Formats: sequence, C-alpha cells, structure tokens
Amino acid sequence: MQVYLPLAEMSVDVLLVVGIGLAVGLLSGLFGVGGGFLMTPLLIFIGIPSAVAVATSANQTMGASISGLIAHWRRGNVDAKMGAVLTAAGLAGSALGVQLFVLVRSLGQLDLVVALFYVVVLGIVGSLMAAESVRALMRRRRQIRRRLHEHFWMHGLPLKMRFRQSRLYISVIPPVLIGFGIGLLSAIMGVGGGFILVPAMIYLLGMPTGVVIGTSLFQVVFVTAAVTVMQSVSTQSVDIILSLLLMAGAVAGAQFGAAMGSRLRGEETRGLLGLLVLMVALELGINLFRRPEAMFVVEPLL
Amino acid sequence: MSRPPRLAAALLAASLFAPSPAAALVAELSQREIEVTTGFTGAELLVFGAKETAPADLVVAVRGPALPFVVRQKTRIAGMWVNGASEIFNTAPTFYAIASTRPLTEILPESERQRLRLGLDALPLRPEGSRDDPAFRDALVEIKTDAGLYRQVDDGVTLVGDRLFHTRVFLPPTVVPGPYRVDVLAVQDGRIVAARDVSLVVRRVGTSAEIWRFAHDHSWFYGFGAVLVAALAGWAGSVLFRRN
Repeated sequence: MQVYLPLAEMSVDVLLVVGIGLAVGLLSGLFGVGGGFLMTPLLIFIGIPSAVAVATSANQTMGASISGLIAHWRRGNVDAKMGAVLTAAGLAGSALGVQLFVLVRSLGQLDLVVALFYVVVLGIVGSLMAAESVRALMRRRRQIRRRLHEHFWMHGLPLKMRFRQSRLYISVIPPVLIGFGIGLLSAIMGVGGGFILVPAMIYLLGMPTGVVIGTSLFQVVFVTAAVTVMQSVSTQSVDIILSLLLMAGAVAGAQFGAAMGSRLRGEETRGLLGLLVLMVALELGINLFRRPEAMFVVEPLL
Repeated sequence: MSRPPRLAAALLAASLFAPSPAAALVAELSQREIEVTTGFTGAELLVFGAKETAPADLVVAVRGPALPFVVRQKTRIAGMWVNGASEIFNTAPTFYAIASTRPLTEILPESERQRLRLGLDALPLRPEGSRDDPAFRDALVEIKTDAGLYRQVDDGVTLVGDRLFHTRVFLPPTVVPGPYRVDVLAVQDGRIVAARDVSLVVRRVGTSAEIWRFAHDHSWFYGFGAVLVAALAGWAGSVLFRRN
C-alpha cells in the first residue's frame, strides 16, 4: 500500500517504511540506543531526500526516546542537573547545526556533508566501541579491579560544579563541550546521539553507569525536540506522516529488541553494536567512492 | 466505473459535441481537476475529442507549471564523487508530455516545431549561466523522462474512424500541483489547421494538502505540533506494547 508523504512530496510503500521502523526499533531495543544513526541512512537509501530523512529521523528519535525517559525518570535514574547542562549546550549546538545544514543545502552539498559526517563519526565511534568491548572481555578474564571513576586533566578545569546524583565535582566545561557537539551532530545527522553520549558520559565524565542511560535520554529528548522545531522552521522537512509510520514500527520493534537484549552480556552487546556502526560507516564510505549511476542530479532551486 | 465503458462514454460525449463546420476541432479531458491526496499514486488523464473528417494528424501536449531547477554534475575530488559544476534553469516545466498520431518530425517542419516548442528537443530550456554545455540540458530532460515527468510518444494519439481521437497521459505521483495546460493541434500538410487548449488543475487536497500548507504557513506551530505528536505517539506506543 502506497502513502503520499506531504513534505517529502513522494509516495512510499507503507510496509517498507513500517518495516524499516521495526528493524531499527529492534536494534535500538537490543542495544539501548535510539537508532537514528541507522534510520537516516536507510531513509536516504529508499529515496527520501536527505533533508527530510535527517529532520524526520530527529523527530522520530524524539518520540521513540520519550517512553524510556519517563521510565528512567520514575526510577530516579536521571541526573537532572547534568541533563540540564548537556541540554543547554546541546540546544546551542543544534541551533548552529541547523544553520550549517541550511547553508550546505543551498550550496548543493548536503548529501555529501551528511555522508561525510556519518562516515567520520560512525567510523570513530564504531572503532572505539569495538576496541573497548574487546578490552572489557579481556579484563573480565584477568579480573582487574577498577576505580570508581578515572580523573582526567579536563575535570580540573575552572567553573567546577557539583553533580550530586552522579557523585561528581568536576568542571562544567567538558559536559558543555560534549553537549554542544552532540547537538551539532543531532541537527546534521538526524540522530539522538545516545551512541556517542553514553560512552562519553562513562569514559570522559566518569558518571556512574546507573544514571547514564536516563540522563542521556533526557538530553536526547530535549535536543531532538529542538531540532524538530528548528528544522520545521528553517527547512520545512519534518514529515510527520513519515515520522508516525516509522514510530509505529520502531515502538513495537524496541519491545522485542529489549527482550532479546536482556539475554546478552553488556560487553558482547557493545561489541556487536560497534560492529554494526562500523558496517554502516563502511557502506556509506564506499558509496562516496563508487562511481554514481547518474553523472547529473536535478534539484529544485531553493 | 471500469475503464472501457468510461472511454466509450467519453467518445460518445465527444461525438455529441460534433463540430459544426466552423469548429474544426473539439477536445475535452476526462477530468479538469486532479486531486493529490494522501493515497495519491498518480493519475491517468484521458484527452479526447473530434476533428473534421479531412485527413489530419493530431498532436496533444500537456504542460505543467514551470519552476527553477538546478542541474549538478558529479565530479571526482580526492577519489570521492561530489556535486561539482551546476547550471540553473530558471523556467523548466515540471511536467511535459507530448503525443501525436505520427512522429512529430514527419508531421511538422523543423522550424515550425521549434517555434511552437513541440517535442522534448524543442523545450525552451535555457541555462542561466554563460557556459554553453548541452550536457546539462540533456541531463535535465533525461532525468525528468526517467521520472515519468517528461514524455514524448510518437504514436500516442489514437484515431477512431476519421473523426474521433483519444490519448492517455499518465501523471506520476511526483507531479507538482498547479495549473496545467493541454494543447490539441490538428496538423495538415505541415501546417496547424486547428487548435484547442483546455486547462487542468492539479491540487493538493485532504490531509496531505493541509499538512503541507500548515508546515509552510505556520512552521513554528508545525514544529511544536510535530514534537507533541511524536511524544504522544511514543508514549502511547510504549503503553500499548508494554510487556507485563
């Protein structure tokens, strides 16, 4: 069955789109990430314009993350103060990101920039995740004790702030930089950024793992909400019909994924996720070098 | 209604409109309005009519609203294929379909065909820049043709007897809403002997039209609405699928 997407201005197969939502939801439930980094490339792959894919994926990620946030909030797993710092910085980053998005689109290089961001960011994050998971597996064998959290030079920067729930007294500069970066990526890639934020919180900020997921969802929900509004205003490319179809699949898929995920060990899950991220990066990277089928593209002049 | 009876009815209607000797040509469309709804998968337009009994060829051209387009050429930078040189075509028809009883080149002399802009190679597509590379124009026509938005069918117009004619024009789901114009020309000995034009409107209607208009006219409200709808859908979905 075909349905017309009002803002993408094209018809798509309902089952295909719901299926993509289901598949991404399944993986996101399995790995505990939003899955925006898979959603955007898949949408572009089926012919959705890059702008619509990015903006709609951000909107979809927001909807898919909200129930998780509510659940973690109820259990008290959200460091609201840290979340607020990350969100404030994330809003600034996403505002800049949307401006960059508009500029790059008018230059006709949006497809390239989105692809490059994906290749570089996913390549780095995927490698780090895979490496970390291998290290963790080896560490488990050797039974080495770890400290509560490591102290880096950056924690000693000025503007120290106490984050009671995370049991941290660190400079506000690292969380601000991280939040800003995630906000920027959120606007350009249409991702929530949980797959970067979660490891960044654990390894760079040294937050206890118990509050990491909830706090990252806090930032993701608010930043993707802001991206949705800003993309709607600047590019009119948030397609609500597409977003709802994706969510219908994703919400169902996430439940099955979560059930499957509870049977996997943390290190193994992270290793698999790292591999998946690397594969997406590789595929997109190879595509940049592959000779295009058509040597010309036609776009409406904006 | 199934298709053959509709066609028969249309042709019957056309014969009822039989031309008086003064009106050498009459033409009508199966519909004067095409509605783009949420379930829109394209529309088939039937152009039909009657001409004088004298032997003449017929040309039917459907033109959509013109919009500015940019054509970009892929170039290789550091091994990567990226958008390089570009040409802007300020007024390119978003839709152009032409059908005739015989190949256009056999019906009309070249100069006349170019003057009347009949045929894909006669479309008035002039790039804005000074670069005189026909590759960009050709690419525009080729891409639009592949998308079903430009079409030239040399035997697309069917004559029934020596008076009635009809042709079908498919408008794909990507047609741009706006005013469309259908020109029907009767050609005899390389000259246009009769011409009729009928207008057609493609409109966005229903939910998809309202969503599009709202997103463009009230983009702030649309943005907040999208956030609210996504939040509600996400929450409702999690309640619905919650495992016990």
